[in-house]
Amino acid sequence: MSAVLTVENYTLDYRTGWGLRRALDAVSLSIAPGEVLGLVGESGSGKSSLAWAITRSLPTNAMEAGALRLGAEDLRTASPQQLGAIRGRRIGMVFQDPSTSLNPTIRLGEQVIEVLMRHRGLDRTAASAAAEAALADVELRDPAALMRRFPHEASGGEKQRVVIATVFACDPELILFDEPTTALDVITGARILDLFGRLRARTGVAALYISHDLGLVSRVADRVAVLERGVVVEQGVPADVFRTPAHSYTRVLVAAVPRPGHRLVEDTPPATTLLTATSISVRYARKRLFRPAPPAATHAVDFDIRRGEIFGIVGESGSGKSSLARALTGLAPFTGAIDLDGRRIAAMDRPYRRAVQIVFQHPDASLNPRMRIADILSRPLRLYGGDSAEVPRVLEEVRLPASYASKFPHQLSGGEKQRVAIARAFAAKPALVICDEITAALDVSVQAQVIELLLALRRAHGTAYLFITHDLNLVRQIAHRIAVMQEGVIVETRDAADLASPDAHPYTAALLAASPAPIG
Amino acid sequence: MSDNLLRRLWRTKQGRIGAIVLGLAALLCLFGPNLAPQNPEAIDFLGRFRPPGAQNWLGADQLGRDVLSRLMTGARSTIPLALLATLLGTLAGAVIGTLSAYLGGRWDEAIMRSIDAVMAVPGLLLALLLVSSLGKGSLNAALAIAIAFTPGMARVTRSVALSVRAQDYVKAAIARGERGSFIVLREMLPNVIGPVVVETTIRVAFAVMLFATLSFLGLGAQPPASEWGLMVAEARRFVHQAPWIILAPAIAIGITAIGFNLLGDGLRDALNPRDER
Repeated sequence: MSAVLTVENYTLDYRTGWGLRRALDAVSLSIAPGEVLGLVGESGSGKSSLAWAITRSLPTNAMEAGALRLGAEDLRTASPQQLGAIRGRRIGMVFQDPSTSLNPTIRLGEQVIEVLMRHRGLDRTAASAAAEAALADVELRDPAALMRRFPHEASGGEKQRVVIATVFACDPELILFDEPTTALDVITGARILDLFGRLRARTGVAALYISHDLGLVSRVADRVAVLERGVVVEQGVPADVFRTPAHSYTRVLVAAVPRPGHRLVEDTPPATTLLTATSISVRYARKRLFRPAPPAATHAVDFDIRRGEIFGIVGESGSGKSSLARALTGLAPFTGAIDLDGRRIAAMDRPYRRAVQIVFQHPDASLNPRMRIADILSRPLRLYGGDSAEVPRVLEEVRLPASYASKFPHQLSGGEKQRVAIARAFAAKPALVICDEITAALDVSVQAQVIELLLALRRAHGTAYLFITHDLNLVRQIAHRIAVMQEGVIVETRDAADLASPDAHPYTAALLAASPAPIG
Repeated sequence: MSDNLLRRLWRTKQGRIGAIVLGLAALLCLFGPNLAPQNPEAIDFLGRFRPPGAQNWLGADQLGRDVLSRLMTGARSTIPLALLATLLGTLAGAVIGTLSAYLGGRWDEAIMRSIDAVMAVPGLLLALLLVSSLGKGSLNAALAIAIAFTPGMARVTRSVALSVRAQDYVKAAIARGERGSFIVLREMLPNVIGPVVVETTIRVAFAVMLFATLSFLGLGAQPPASEWGLMVAEARRFVHQAPWIILAPAIAIGITAIGFNLLGDGLRDALNPRDER
């Protein structure tokens, strides 16, 4: 049988103000009927450009060469009318963030019905019945009620299911998945993947699954292609590619994937307590005249961090882990008590602020775009009794050249920006650094470098870390103890080594089960 | 830095055209009266309503005064004052708006509701009120216009500053215990400047017209001054009889306004460090 999708020697350039920029270089791929091809690559490798090229949604400055065929039909020469019949009908698309791919002002049911009327030529009543059946197919409870809701009244997982239901209802030949679970929680994402597995077994649809997550792709795909800067460097069965990678880039990627069994920290911290938090409750809004108070983000959370310890906090989004970080840095009002080195912290004073530093998730947002790196770093130095002349030393500590001092943040890569943010925290010579999802926005190979840097800094300064993350595999590699948070409560705190033991809390077990199995 | 800024401004097309137009306007402000071909206040009864021609390039007005000469002389009393009024209003509004967004909560509520109360009074009425209590004269008019502009600028700035306030670099500054004045002036204000600059340049044109209105009502520039807005106001009665009298100053105001707008667009791009041109 011939391939569903053929990409032959496809090259894509973007015309920019600085000349041509190559996004894809002589890419050749094919997807057989019923096959799922995983496309793996880091940001900027061109994986989304390929998806846009296949759906013919390229910007006007794109220049192409090579062939794109759906079955026997040439996609590149298709007219707008033909494309209208192909998109949605023969090629389905599932995007990363369901809250932006659904129109917030139209009821969920209407959005499904519209697609069915358009692509399956049904009248309104038939489409409505078909939509309800489609939503039942994706295992949504009470589809009729869901159809009357607006997107903001549904959870992220429900929304992504609605998108998937719409796609499958049109019975396409090929589905493009562009990071469909990245915006979702681990457990929700794992359920979506299971659902996709079942739907696929029933319908035999072919799919192109784009992701940066190697562990995930190895579970979903029949075959995998690794993309590096627009070039397919390796293709094959996932198990082979990941166990015995042939290309050096694949080896780097595979090596950077966190494996919980492989500990990066071997020492045990001393038993002296650095910081004790007692019944910390964070509440964002007060009770208003006609509105009851919203539930607290965290309920009376207790924990303690030892000197030089790496203390991990894991949980899904909305579990209150970031609120905890904000309380500890004085960014959110809270009730409860904090003791640092045996001293009760009544108000956030300068010695406390110096001792407890925070690094945020998005380096783009945490560095002022209008300040040079030197200015960004000299602020904490001056504030905490240092000298701006130390900027080169601070930069060197995070392995950045001193010449970066005169650059603006946007001139740096994501990993370099995060290093600057780490340097800013360490400029204060802190005893505790709160790392709030600091690697979530980074590629896996960059993440490995940042973690390595953090561990080296800890060896040099004996700093403790409060490491907040949703990535269980990563935190199990480095943390001494791990606290699991659910709905504002710490359900348990365990040594990292026996997190997976059978007597763990059911929620911990669920989180572990949903974390993508490490490769190899 | 400022040298760099000018170079970047020059490299944008809008910035270049805007700079040229405003450069000419600046020359007019500096040397206009010396360059004027005739005495702007010389009355010539034989030449009343003379159409544009060799004798009066842009025609003559209802008193036979040379329109071109009046235009060249009037630049000095029009553009600098309008600019001053707008800059004062912008600065006050930008600081109030950013401060309000930074403080948040009840302070924000209190500041913005007061601003709303002031905005409920039409700008012209407010300016009139202020001028009549401060006394007639061009400088007082400028001050009145500045105060009338402040609430609007504060609102524009606040909305931009609110999104900046939510950025992590502001949180990082709060977490490391920076003073409020540092956060407002150094962390937030440079990041709200883009939309504020554009708004400012649009308002310069409004300021010129507001001046004209005040002058027309006898509270700004006084006749026989050749302030452009006053010229438009005086020529209004003769718009059918001698359209050139009103067209010349109106077009001058328009060109100045476009010049400021273009410069604003250019500045917005030049002020953005991400723009690498």
